[in-house]
Amino acid sequence: MDNRTPDNADTYPALGRAFLWLDRPGGAKAVRYTLFILCALLIVADFVFYKKGYLPIEEFPIFYALFGFFSCAALLICSVVMRVILERPRDYYAPTDGALEPSPQEQAAKVDHHA
Amino acid sequence: MLDALPTAFLFFLAALILPILPRGPLRSLLVLIVPVVAGLAVYALPMGNLVQAEFFGFTLDLMRVDPLSRVFALLFCIAAFLGGLFAWHLRDTVQQVAMLLYVGAAIGAVFAGDLVTLFFYWEGTAISSVFLIWARRSEASYFSGMRYLTIQIGSGVMLLAGIILHYSATGSIAFDAMTLDSPASWLIFIAFGIKAAFILLNNWMIDAYPSATVTGTVILSAFTTKLAIYALARGFAGTELLIYIGAATAVYPLIWAQLENDLRRVVAYALNLQQGFMFVGIGIGTELALNGAIAHAFVGVLYGMLLFMTLGAVMYRTGTSRATDLGGIYKTMPLTALFCLVGAASISAFPLFAGFVSKSLIISAAAKGSHYVVWGCLLLASAGGFLVCGLKVPFFAFFSKDGSLRPREAPGHMLLVMGLTAVLCVLAGTNPTALYALLPYDVSYQPYSTGHIITQLQLLLFSALAFALLLPTRLYPRPNPTVNLDFDWVYRRLLLGAIGLLAIPVRGFFRALDRFKAGPLKALIRTLYNTYGPMARTSQFWPTGAMVLWIAILLGVTLLVSYAS
Repeated sequence: MDNRTPDNADTYPALGRAFLWLDRPGGAKAVRYTLFILCALLIVADFVFYKKGYLPIEEFPIFYALFGFFSCAALLICSVVMRVILERPRDYYAPTDGALEPSPQEQAAKVDHHA
Repeated sequence: MLDALPTAFLFFLAALILPILPRGPLRSLLVLIVPVVAGLAVYALPMGNLVQAEFFGFTLDLMRVDPLSRVFALLFCIAAFLGGLFAWHLRDTVQQVAMLLYVGAAIGAVFAGDLVTLFFYWEGTAISSVFLIWARRSEASYFSGMRYLTIQIGSGVMLLAGIILHYSATGSIAFDAMTLDSPASWLIFIAFGIKAAFILLNNWMIDAYPSATVTGTVILSAFTTKLAIYALARGFAGTELLIYIGAATAVYPLIWAQLENDLRRVVAYALNLQQGFMFVGIGIGTELALNGAIAHAFVGVLYGMLLFMTLGAVMYRTGTSRATDLGGIYKTMPLTALFCLVGAASISAFPLFAGFVSKSLIISAAAKGSHYVVWGCLLLASAGGFLVCGLKVPFFAFFSKDGSLRPREAPGHMLLVMGLTAVLCVLAGTNPTALYALLPYDVSYQPYSTGHIITQLQLLLFSALAFALLLPTRLYPRPNPTVNLDFDWVYRRLLLGAIGLLAIPVRGFFRALDRFKAGPLKALIRTLYNTYGPMARTSQFWPTGAMVLWIAILLGVTLLVSYAS
């Protein structure tokens, strides 16, 4: 299998190399700070622009931002709690369910894709 | 010429021809050309009932062309083309034939003007599509396919029962709008609901889609559930119950999607959640809402296929779609990652992407109808859906921790079709009037207002904020290589257990019977044999004359009886 070629960044496609900064120290931090700035801008925009809603609750300032943040946080925490009840070993239903199968590429190895 | 031939037959014809062709690109080309021809034919079709056939005294409408059926038929042709292009590398006759039959059956069902025709095609989609699952040729996919087939055929049987009751009550087999006022319409409603993946009837979808082959999943995701959306829009538009079913269906999968490790299953959950939006749209039943539901089905096929294509390409190259096994492969599969992000943005309804213009129609319709709770559920599903499909899938598949996987970029034809689908997603998002023009009703709706863009971005980016803040903590459910119990536990374990309990007395009875046979019964037979058998004591002293005597007595009795009577 050619999945594990020696790790040399020069062999990556150009587009892949263009995003390598994500993996450098500080890359994730940069993404996070960009997100913070965008969120702050959206809060400001909420007060600057007129928005038309169908329901009275939509008039509440930054309603959508609050809804998005708190519902998602609640959802994630809920999932963590639910996992305690729902989680089972991989072969819970059948021993073969979790088994690793040969990669489809290997099965199709004889095919010439550039035909 | 194509007017006289039902569009579905084009696909069936191709399925007949395909095995004769030499194995290779010629077959792939056929799979690719048929949807193009069919699509052009459908586009040019005049409205009306074009083809009729006599069947046991019924007049079947094989081609009811109206704006509603036409938009779905066009959608299926586009989906078949995209799926065919994605499967260009395929050299598996079973899958290619199954694909053609499946698409043909789906298009036939959409054009069916009566319930009998609908039933035949309804079952046709079930039987043909299961081969896309079995074609993976693993034990797990065999059992998964069996469960899929059982449930799908179950839906067909319920539909048939409903049709029979409907016919005996009304004397008509026409497939038109129905109301939930009789057992017949309830049966038909539930049959549609199984295929449409109503809440608690949805597990077949999450079970079957990721069990299919790389290409099979892409194909499966486009037809069955959207056919059911068509059927609901045709038969049950404006049914209030659908609004609540939709809201529940949209919210229910959120937690499971969060916990799931197999990213193809995560996408299946996310598509299930989108079905909920469509139910709400159909249930509200206004022209705005119906247009929204149909538009959402339309773009849903596009981004659903796109997401399954990107994950399929990953699976094709790495052999897995599990979050725990992937990560960091954007470096060597950057284009696939990019297309996955487009699909993720589309399903999450980012402005300028496909989902935005269709989802807002439905949410606006819910708000206009003052369905507060439903509106809240849909908003929650939007935010949670983004968390799942917009963030989790691309993050854990392509970014996340850097594993040792360095797969090659997807094959050329896959990149081509993913790019094409991504462009369609963006086109639908940036140019909603073109999408709206395809819809059956004239509705003037403007999704792009400043206020709407800001509120939608707030919803999405603050969801992302919650993701970003919780991700490094223990409050984020990181994927584990485990199984999570879902409702299918009821029929895979609970009912199985109940049958096990039921089996105890039955087993006990048969054991007792066995013991009786082995013990007293055998002893009795042995005693009888020893007494009257050929070697037994009684036979040794039994003269032949006794036999003659008894025959003489018997004849005498016969003589007496016949004389007396």
